[in-house]
Amino acid sequence: MQYGMIIDLDRCVGCHACTIACKAEWDVPADKERNWVRRLGPANTPEGLASTYYPGLCNHCNEPSCVPVCPADAIEKTFTDGKTGQTKTMEVAATYKDPFNGTVQIDQDRCLGCGACADACPYGARYVNTDIKNEEIGGEGIADKCTYCMPRVAKGLEPSCVQTCLANARIFGDLDDPNSEVARYVKKGAKGLTSAAVNIRPNSRYYGNRKDMHLLTTTSTPTEMPAASLRRSLMARLKPELRKVKNLGLLGLAGAVLVAGSDEGSNE
Amino acid sequence: MADIFRFLAQAMRYPAAEWFNDDFQSVLLQLLNELHWQEEQEELRLAMARAENFLEDVQIEHTRLFINAIPHVAAAPYASVHYKGDGTLYGAIAEQTKKFYRSKGFTLARENDLPDHLVYELEFLALLAKEDPDGQREFLYSLFTPWFDIFRNKVLREAHHPYYRIVVNLIDFFTREEL
Amino acid sequence: MSFKVTRRKFLQTASLAAATLPLAKVVSAETGFVRDPFTPPGSFAGTQTVTGGVCEMCFWRCQLVGKVRDKKLVKLEGNPKSIDNGKSICARGNAGIKLLYDPDRLKFPLKNIGERGKPVWKQISWQEALDECGARLKAVQEKYGSHSIAMFPHGASAKYPMDFFEKVVGTHNVSEASFFQCRGIRDSAYMATFSVPPDESVDMANAKAILLIGCHFGENVHVSHVKAYLKGLENGARLVVVDPRYSASAAKSHIWVQIKPGTDTAFLLAVMNYLVTKDKYDKNFVKAHCVGFAEFKQGIAHASLDWAAKICDVPAQQIQEVAELLAANAPNVSIHPGRHVSWHGNDFQRVRAQACLTALLGAVGVKGGFVKPKGVKVKGISWPGSEHGGEYNLRLLADKHHYAPPGTPTELIRDACISGKPYPIKGCVVWGQNPIQTIPNPQKTIAALQQMDFVMCVDIMPTDITMYADILLPEPCYLEKYDFIKTGTQWNFADKHQQYIAPRMPLVDAMFERRDGVWIMNEIARRMGHGDKIPVNSVEEKVNKELAAVNLSIDQLKKEDGIHIQDGKDPYGVEEDFEVLLYNEDLEDNGYPAVPTYIAVDDAPKGFARLVYGRAPVHTFNRSQNNVWLHHAMPVNPLWLNDEIAREMGLQDGDEIELVNSEGVKSSSKTVVKVTPGIRKDTVYMAHGYGSRNPLLTLGFHAGADDQELITRLAIDPETGCNGMRNNFVKIVKDGKALDIPA
Repeated sequence: MQYGMIIDLDRCVGCHACTIACKAEWDVPADKERNWVRRLGPANTPEGLASTYYPGLCNHCNEPSCVPVCPADAIEKTFTDGKTGQTKTMEVAATYKDPFNGTVQIDQDRCLGCGACADACPYGARYVNTDIKNEEIGGEGIADKCTYCMPRVAKGLEPSCVQTCLANARIFGDLDDPNSEVARYVKKGAKGLTSAAVNIRPNSRYYGNRKDMHLLTTTSTPTEMPAASLRRSLMARLKPELRKVKNLGLLGLAGAVLVAGSDEGSNE
Repeated sequence: MADIFRFLAQAMRYPAAEWFNDDFQSVLLQLLNELHWQEEQEELRLAMARAENFLEDVQIEHTRLFINAIPHVAAAPYASVHYKGDGTLYGAIAEQTKKFYRSKGFTLARENDLPDHLVYELEFLALLAKEDPDGQREFLYSLFTPWFDIFRNKVLREAHHPYYRIVVNLIDFFTREEL
Repeated sequence: MSFKVTRRKFLQTASLAAATLPLAKVVSAETGFVRDPFTPPGSFAGTQTVTGGVCEMCFWRCQLVGKVRDKKLVKLEGNPKSIDNGKSICARGNAGIKLLYDPDRLKFPLKNIGERGKPVWKQISWQEALDECGARLKAVQEKYGSHSIAMFPHGASAKYPMDFFEKVVGTHNVSEASFFQCRGIRDSAYMATFSVPPDESVDMANAKAILLIGCHFGENVHVSHVKAYLKGLENGARLVVVDPRYSASAAKSHIWVQIKPGTDTAFLLAVMNYLVTKDKYDKNFVKAHCVGFAEFKQGIAHASLDWAAKICDVPAQQIQEVAELLAANAPNVSIHPGRHVSWHGNDFQRVRAQACLTALLGAVGVKGGFVKPKGVKVKGISWPGSEHGGEYNLRLLADKHHYAPPGTPTELIRDACISGKPYPIKGCVVWGQNPIQTIPNPQKTIAALQQMDFVMCVDIMPTDITMYADILLPEPCYLEKYDFIKTGTQWNFADKHQQYIAPRMPLVDAMFERRDGVWIMNEIARRMGHGDKIPVNSVEEKVNKELAAVNLSIDQLKKEDGIHIQDGKDPYGVEEDFEVLLYNEDLEDNGYPAVPTYIAVDDAPKGFARLVYGRAPVHTFNRSQNNVWLHHAMPVNPLWLNDEIAREMGLQDGDEIELVNSEGVKSSSKTVVKVTPGIRKDTVYMAHGYGSRNPLLTLGFHAGADDQELITRLAIDPETGCNGMRNNFVKIVKDGKALDIPA
């Protein structure tokens, strides 16, 4: 099973209902976003004058670049297939790709808020909420992003953005099920925003006429993977230190960074 | 301490003739005297002496600082407007505050009121002062001081009248003492 | 005492007493909740679903449910039972909770002890506030007469007070922005043609072709209306959009007519003349229902394709293409009547042309055409009416604007205020309207307010106008009160015919000292000596009495999850006596053209471009600027500027600019340029509802630029007296320097 979302640009009217419904559902800070709508154009394309929207969200990629960079301690986590009840145990950091439903999720109570995952996403789909933090592990904030509303889906509800969409432009379902509407859209040509350099197999896909798709893909496709950030590599090097700090359960992250700073100095 | 917090809570309510009277004002002046806050005492006496209508001056100041004003409400007396959130009422910290009240066995008598109003938080501190010093410390540390500091600075910056400057400094003094 | 002890607390204390343990030790063993990891629970977790919400972020009034967690409203959703908006609500609807919890909102009655416009507010009791309103309105009435009280109402809760001032006090000087600055022209023009106001009654869901004159769905959002429009497109309707700008709708169109602003009537006349001369109109319909076809035919005979092409600055061949497309799909054609239509001061004629075109295509009462839904009527209960004669009716005294919508044209009221002629207007009641931003030329409105003996405002937010109030009263917002009964039908006439009745019910209780309009008005009425005429004692009683007429009640509606649904009626078909006045003799008798006529508008002076405005999907007029979620969704309103012009001017996309109009008025806040090929060279565009001048709005204050303050050249539509607001011309100011726009 692989959950995916289709955005039908022929239907989308750019009204922003999806973004605001998401804010309400998940207490997203006003200046941050789990999903977004960018107005594109009017601009000239080879297919004619075009104006459309980029309703973006986490792509729950098949090869997510955000997952391997998480510096949090790995733990054993047991996943359950909602349908068959089958279980699988994997070692995961604080963010991982669910082996059964294919969504990328965050264990927010273990997140350090270092921002490495947010830096690693070429779509800018993650942010760090600094209003909240796991103080006991020295967290600086908590990473957050679209979950495809898995807690709602588990209750038999639609994702919040899908429910409120007045244009029925957002279609959610299992891409692996050939009879699903999302799979039919893929057959019709719904595409993820990928380029030669960025092809991590996104599962949020876009469908629309040629001129709108031209405008969308030329303006909104990432063309390079984010460079490994200083912060991210720092965090990766800090991993053993953090473990110590966590075991001690006393020092905050700021303390750990100071330790690392002196380490780095002695290395040079 | 409970009496002090109740007094401070009263001082932050909208000034009405029924209580914002000579008795109240003289208790306030006495308190300043006890604390050796001479400057503040002088400032307040001066404001009283100069005022045509001291009550109305403080009412106007209260409205401007805490209710509606030009250029805008200087310092709405609610935690969630200042701390953790998007500046609106009933944010996450308001819900947390309500949970804290409940964890200590209290709910607001008027359940629809916003739980993170300064007056309620001070009244709550008064309740805890009697019977739960640890809870009081925890409340001050985790829920009260973080926003009150921001709020107090706004009041100090925006106030035109000494009364609320003095009151928020008193609150600061007594809540810090408790920490 | 502010706190009460909970049951848990009581039990705890009792057991402690029994065990004679020191209180403090045991209580300290409790762990605090703040150490719990934070995971947003979602709106479905631990919440109660409260039904009966009716939205008023705009005036389409979608039906809502609220998710309430421990007294806090955490989310709004479409009521799943709704046959109107269904489970969908728009961005504004979703953001309603940020209006509810906006810290800038009005909370207590306030008295201004400073000056109007520079208020010094003091919280006062309701008693004092009502006494003052009652006494001072009564004083104005006694000194100058009932007609010396003017009222500016807007929104559901303003209806009852409006009726009080019109019917009981007896003033004609009531002016609704929804009429005089918005859709009044449309209603009057259709009344003068079809004898019915059109609302937005076109069956777009089942149309084969849709013609939009300036409508920009997507940027303008009314949920079920957009659903019908999209359904039509999904079903294969051909879409024609007439707009100087490549709007959200133009982007989905099959034909985009990039018309020169102000010339739409010429375009419509040429289309109609083409249909008539080429015998492509519906002869049967015209014969059966139309009056004055011969005069009409003759009256529009001059409107050749070439004539219009030159005026409208579009190819003649495109006008022909549109006419052919409409004829080919007739009668299943939606000629949209529009909504905000007060544009150029020649608008009555344009809207009448839209109605006449509808008739020529036979697009009345048929699938896809002009079809009035058959909903259920729930009669409002209000103040007893009495006739007050026309002696003090400013419109009759002026013998102008014979097709004015109900009420008195704003302009006439404002002029009387300032000149004192024909009589002084000294009392002003503003209820939910913001005339500073809704009525062009705010300096005139301010002058009118400054000369009043008394001004009172009732609102939910500190809008610009409230700065001029002597007494300012706070109302609950639409989520906290009863007031209005929404009725209607399913939006797609192809579906089972159903009717619904949905009274607005509170989703949460009102906070602070906000009181509803019925209560406020009754209290003031008592103090003005009209206590004996009070029709209902509370808003609940009012709603219950209104519902009783259709055998319902608030209790029953609560049982039915907020919406009563019953079988409906087929809306299709045309009454035999339905009459279309292609030629309207009455119009001629009053000195207006009897056949739709194009009246030219002024061209932009050299170096200026025409300023047009429209909607942003996240805002309703200027009412939602301060909403924290909506503000962040679209923080400013970029000025659309043609890309070739921008290149010539040396402006880049995103450049920060101001505007100055041809009368020297400069915008008081900044916006940015959006450089695009999607707008004409002689026109610039911005979304309305930005750049508030009221610093009380923490977020809305000076965010983006305000189109309204630049609208100082006022056109008055002669038939209706409504304001035309798109005849203003601007230059762009960059780094303090005004730049010519080389259109």
